[in-house]
Amino acid sequence: MTRYFFKRLLSGIFTIWITTIAVTLLIHLVPGDPVQIMYAQSQSTTPEQLEQIRRNLGLDRPIYEQYIMYMGRILQGDFGTTIRGNQPVLDLLLVRLPNTLLLTTASLVVTIVVGVTAGFFAAYKRDTWIDSTLMTAAILGISVPSFWLGLMLMYIFSMQLGWLPVSGTSLRNLILPAITLGLANAASVSRLTRSSMIDVLTQDYMRTARAKGLKEGTVLSRHALRNGLVNVVNMLGLQFTYMMGGAIVVENVFAWNGIGRLAIQSIFQRDYPTIQGFILIFATVVVVVSMVLDLLYVWIDPRITYK
Amino acid sequence: MANLKPAMVADQSLEAITPPSRAQRLGQFLQALLRSPGAKVGAVILLLLFAVAIFAPAIAPFEPSQMNVGPALSPPSAEHWFGTDNFGRDLFSRVVYGSRLTLMIGLVAVGISMTVGVVVGLVAGYTEGWLGNILMRAMDVLFSFTETLIALATVAVLGPSLRNAVIAVGISSIPYYARITYGAVLVEKNKEYFRAAKTLGARHGRLIFRHLFPNILSPIIVVATVGVSVAVLSASALSFLGLGAQPPSPEWGAILAAGRDYFRRAPWITTFPGLAIAVSVLGFNLLGDGLRAALDPQQRQS
Repeated sequence: MTRYFFKRLLSGIFTIWITTIAVTLLIHLVPGDPVQIMYAQSQSTTPEQLEQIRRNLGLDRPIYEQYIMYMGRILQGDFGTTIRGNQPVLDLLLVRLPNTLLLTTASLVVTIVVGVTAGFFAAYKRDTWIDSTLMTAAILGISVPSFWLGLMLMYIFSMQLGWLPVSGTSLRNLILPAITLGLANAASVSRLTRSSMIDVLTQDYMRTARAKGLKEGTVLSRHALRNGLVNVVNMLGLQFTYMMGGAIVVENVFAWNGIGRLAIQSIFQRDYPTIQGFILIFATVVVVVSMVLDLLYVWIDPRITYK
Repeated sequence: MANLKPAMVADQSLEAITPPSRAQRLGQFLQALLRSPGAKVGAVILLLLFAVAIFAPAIAPFEPSQMNVGPALSPPSAEHWFGTDNFGRDLFSRVVYGSRLTLMIGLVAVGISMTVGVVVGLVAGYTEGWLGNILMRAMDVLFSFTETLIALATVAVLGPSLRNAVIAVGISSIPYYARITYGAVLVEKNKEYFRAAKTLGARHGRLIFRHLFPNILSPIIVVATVGVSVAVLSASALSFLGLGAQPPSPEWGAILAAGRDYFRRAPWITTFPGLAIAVSVLGFNLLGDGLRAALDPQQRQS
């Protein structure tokens, strides 16, 4: 376990380290002059000012020096400042990060509740109309674009019925985006749960449990669900990663003030310091959370021992 | 089997066990594929989609970007099936022409990710050793970044446009295809036929293209079919965010994004392109599921 932990930790650190290199190179891959592109949209800047900015960003130095400078600054918590407004990038991201995490966590709950329930019943009622209805719903769910689903839910529940606010960032506002993002992933989780439950339901120990005369409810909850859920927990890390990616789109549908919304704005404005900071924070969160979830999985299932 | 020398098939008793011809095998495969109702529906949807894309000028009553063909923001009617947008453009015509873009986006993006991914996976799996290790480590790192982040970073570098969105979506799925290919190559390499060919002194090129490639093709085809649906969804999301196709392009995500400003007054502008995306993606998903079942020997037996 300890060995597995350190191996996992090392590969996480490796990924984040590669991200820092990628993020430094990013600005050099931009076709044309990044400084000019960054400032093209804002005020008319004189060539001297552009030179000054280039120097401030360190873009006039060799790449390896830039990388060392960038690493040095990041380790001190300095992610640079935004192109417009000169605000510290890290502060902007950290203010919005909890909103994104709140959205992804709430969506994950929706995904698990809806996805696991649907997958479980489809497997239990295998080859009946319940199964085919649920699995038809699942493949429809996989095919619907999340941004469209979000807009349609907004139209029905906010505009027509007036039950929920259209957009914003409060707890009442969380409901629609969380359902949108959650349902989008629930579809694939239900398919995975179904196939894993079908495996479990045909095991010998299920027959044994029934032969012992246990009640059907006990057989299902103690024997089937527990074993079937191990696989579901195993996918949690991957699901969270998908959620983080999906959140970028859904945040923009509902004007939810998370890092995804900031990212899209900064790509529009060609605000490279913010884009760099976003990529770094996003990758770090994904790496850390999936590591924690993977460790949780090893801890939950005693059959798994990593050597 | 056509290239077997006459001497080898001269023995009449061999005829009984002659494997089915290519055409026969294709027939069997199609039968297995179309046995599932889902695959049938998927195939019909995709045939319709291709037909609409090819015959767009004949199907669409108006030019996709022609303004004021009707009153602006008018709801669906007999004359304008999907209604009109804020410029008085016929939405039905725009959605019909948009199918061309959607198919192009899906196929080109999958083409990029599949070509690069399969080459990386083949090279890594065939050579193993340090080169394979480095390649697959790189794919692991890319994989953990998630497709969305890779696509966003690519657009951030190249700038927003439909072309760049397609490239971004293509790049973002490379690790996926590389992993599938790599896994399949490792399995095939240890099979007897491959070892035999190797022992007989077959060259690298022959080993790879004649022996490995045909045998890893079926999982890749399945992944690519579903991959088109993923690519269409990602690219339309980029366009919806304003990072892909730009107005006045009739790309479905872009129409949807432009319609958001009139969402309250004219919800049909966002409804129909979204439905079109969902139905097309459903077609690829259903066919992909059917292919998986038909190509999976375990499921075929049952």
